[in-house]
Amino acid sequence: MSTTRGRFGWLVIWLRQVGVLCGKELIQLTRDRALFIYTVYIFTANIFLAAGGATNELRDAVVRVRDLDRTQASRDLAYQFLPPYFRFAGGVDSERAALDLLDRGEAKVVVEIPEHFARALHDQRPARVQVLVDASQANTGFLASSYAERIAGRYGAVWAQRNVERAGGDPRLMPAIGNDIRVWYNPDLNEKWFNTISELLTMVTVACILLPAAAMIREKERGTIEQLLVSPLSAAQVMLSKVLSMMAVMLTGVAVAIFGIMRPVYHVPFIGSVPLFFLLTALYAFVNAGLGLAAATFARSSAQVGLVVLLMVMPVIMLSGTWTPLESMPPWLRELMGISPLRHFIDVAYGILLRGAGFDVLWDSVLAMAAIGAVLFAVGLWRFRRQFG
Amino acid sequence: MNLRRVLAVAHKEWREIVRDRIYFLLAFLLPVMLMLVFGYGMSQDVENVAFAVLDEDRTPMSRDYAHHFIDSRYFSYQGHLMSAKEADRLLADRKVRVVIVIGPSFERRILEGRGAEAQALIDGTFTTSARTIRAYVEAINAAASARVQVGYLTRKLGLSTDEAIQLLQPVKLEVRYLYNQEVRSIWAVAPSLMMLILILVPPLLMALSVVREKETGAIYNICASTITRAEFLAGKLLPIIGIAGANALILWGIAVWYFGAPFKGSAIFFVLATLTYVLCTTSLGLLISLLVKTQQAAMIISTVLSVIIAIQFSGFITPAASLQGGAWVVAHIFPALYYNDVVKGVFLKGVGFAVLWFDVAVFVLFACVVLVLCHALFRKRMRA
Repeated sequence: MSTTRGRFGWLVIWLRQVGVLCGKELIQLTRDRALFIYTVYIFTANIFLAAGGATNELRDAVVRVRDLDRTQASRDLAYQFLPPYFRFAGGVDSERAALDLLDRGEAKVVVEIPEHFARALHDQRPARVQVLVDASQANTGFLASSYAERIAGRYGAVWAQRNVERAGGDPRLMPAIGNDIRVWYNPDLNEKWFNTISELLTMVTVACILLPAAAMIREKERGTIEQLLVSPLSAAQVMLSKVLSMMAVMLTGVAVAIFGIMRPVYHVPFIGSVPLFFLLTALYAFVNAGLGLAAATFARSSAQVGLVVLLMVMPVIMLSGTWTPLESMPPWLRELMGISPLRHFIDVAYGILLRGAGFDVLWDSVLAMAAIGAVLFAVGLWRFRRQFG
Repeated sequence: MNLRRVLAVAHKEWREIVRDRIYFLLAFLLPVMLMLVFGYGMSQDVENVAFAVLDEDRTPMSRDYAHHFIDSRYFSYQGHLMSAKEADRLLADRKVRVVIVIGPSFERRILEGRGAEAQALIDGTFTTSARTIRAYVEAINAAASARVQVGYLTRKLGLSTDEAIQLLQPVKLEVRYLYNQEVRSIWAVAPSLMMLILILVPPLLMALSVVREKETGAIYNICASTITRAEFLAGKLLPIIGIAGANALILWGIAVWYFGAPFKGSAIFFVLATLTYVLCTTSLGLLISLLVKTQQAAMIISTVLSVIIAIQFSGFITPAASLQGGAWVVAHIFPALYYNDVVKGVFLKGVGFAVLWFDVAVFVLFACVVLVLCHALFRKRMRA
């Protein structure tokens, strides 16, 4: 063929070889039926289920009230614990019974209104109310107490107005600082948006690291790698083909998940640029595949590579800022997570989808991902050449 | 079942595991490393929230208001902004999570006894922490507002500060946090990490064991031998359960001695519950191993399955009570959710068999069903 004899003839051949190898990788993936079904599952049904997943909002937390005062005032306070945050489930007689309910998880909050509560309010003495909160889940425990504060504040405001009037002031002239809270990018704090995006990022990360690593180690274990090495293919081509085929699978999966499920079913916004998003997803897949391949060069058997990958993947997934907030980590760990590609891709994915961020905002994350990818590929290629060169 | 044959298979498995030194080392090192990294990292406390102030009033009162946020230990002050545009950019770039906007006539309106308004722009991308941040902002604003009102009352009515506070806040709420007095998330997290790691590692160790023999063809030795299917599967399970049990013990030690989590419940009950839970997760790995043809598939399926269960369906990151529809059903099928209740109950609440018997019953049932499935699916005569 004349085209292959031109100045860049070697490049055309080189690329065509990579193309053929990619085809081989894709065929291998579809032939492994369990693996293929699973790959389809994680981008479809799994994303669908993830949205039905939990919310960290306090919802219908069961409230029991131990009312020792038994007056109109104390009952009024008890009835303030309303849905959606709370569900008032009646009274409880003794402290022992209250603690027992908390132990069994049948109550989340117990409100204890002491004797003479109403009288204290009338006499302008402090009316103390004790609230017991089950804080075994720290997050909702905090929310329960903070919403209870809010209720007590609102309830007290009525009495405060009366107190001010009695003291000779005019409550209407009292200054107050109103609070206008606006939540951006997800105004209703719709958990489905957050859950599905986080789940998608998690799945892409696991699959992108594990699949190429496992494919590489299989060639090593079965010895088919020797066949590739005696062929006129370079180490870079062998690695590249595994990465590129993985990228193709991931991009398809992400497209199906976003346009097939997340947008039509859950109305997850896609504010930024679609081409930019997929371009950067491709880069992310590339970087992760590099991580998987580098790991595979250090392992001798599938069992080893599984454990090594798990050791890398789990901290990356859990600590990059999706499932746990970065702010709460100790500074050294936060800095360390800078080498996690997901840490940067989170900025990119949420940025483009929800905030409509463009390249002008995201360039630093992109640069970081590219740098991590380059280093990983260099290490992988060096190890690969040393082992089989 | 012939015990000698079971032990023979178990012995052979054990040999294989020990001979692969790196693998053997990782099987013990991996859980410990995950426990340490997650213990430090997986805190749900929302602290050091980066925020900026856009003060268009620039008066003593507006500065005073901003200082309520600057002095809070939950927020980390990143500076004053010049324009709303700058606020947009910083929020979009995730440099700050909150911007406090104080309007132009803030002080004048307060002095005139009218309502002043401060705005808070919160980045809602990460819904969980956004919700907590919203609660912080509300609380700080309420405190600032109360202070302004107290100032007004002391000036107009000549009351002392304490009297004014008493007038304005008649109801005093005293919150007592049970089971986790300081609402320290490491106490809540460390026990749950046992649940997480024991569903991540043992299934992976197990998932490769049968499929490896299938790939190398060593399975035909078993097919041709007199050993029964149940004996073979039991022999495969034993060593991994042993490793997982040892892991559980090490993890427990780290949770209690290193992270200082309280352990209030009965040790005997906890050992029983943990062993049955480990049996569940290991059998899950065995099931995967029997279903797939390649180690690659076994690895990814067991890893992804564990990750999905642990993150979405265990009640660890988000409370299970709020799950809805299909997610609720799925969560109640897998044992992670129940074990999370067990560790929380035993570590933090000190409850035992009387409250948690049902969870253990679920483990036993789950393990039985999965093992029966394994037995049914495993064939000594391969399809041609």
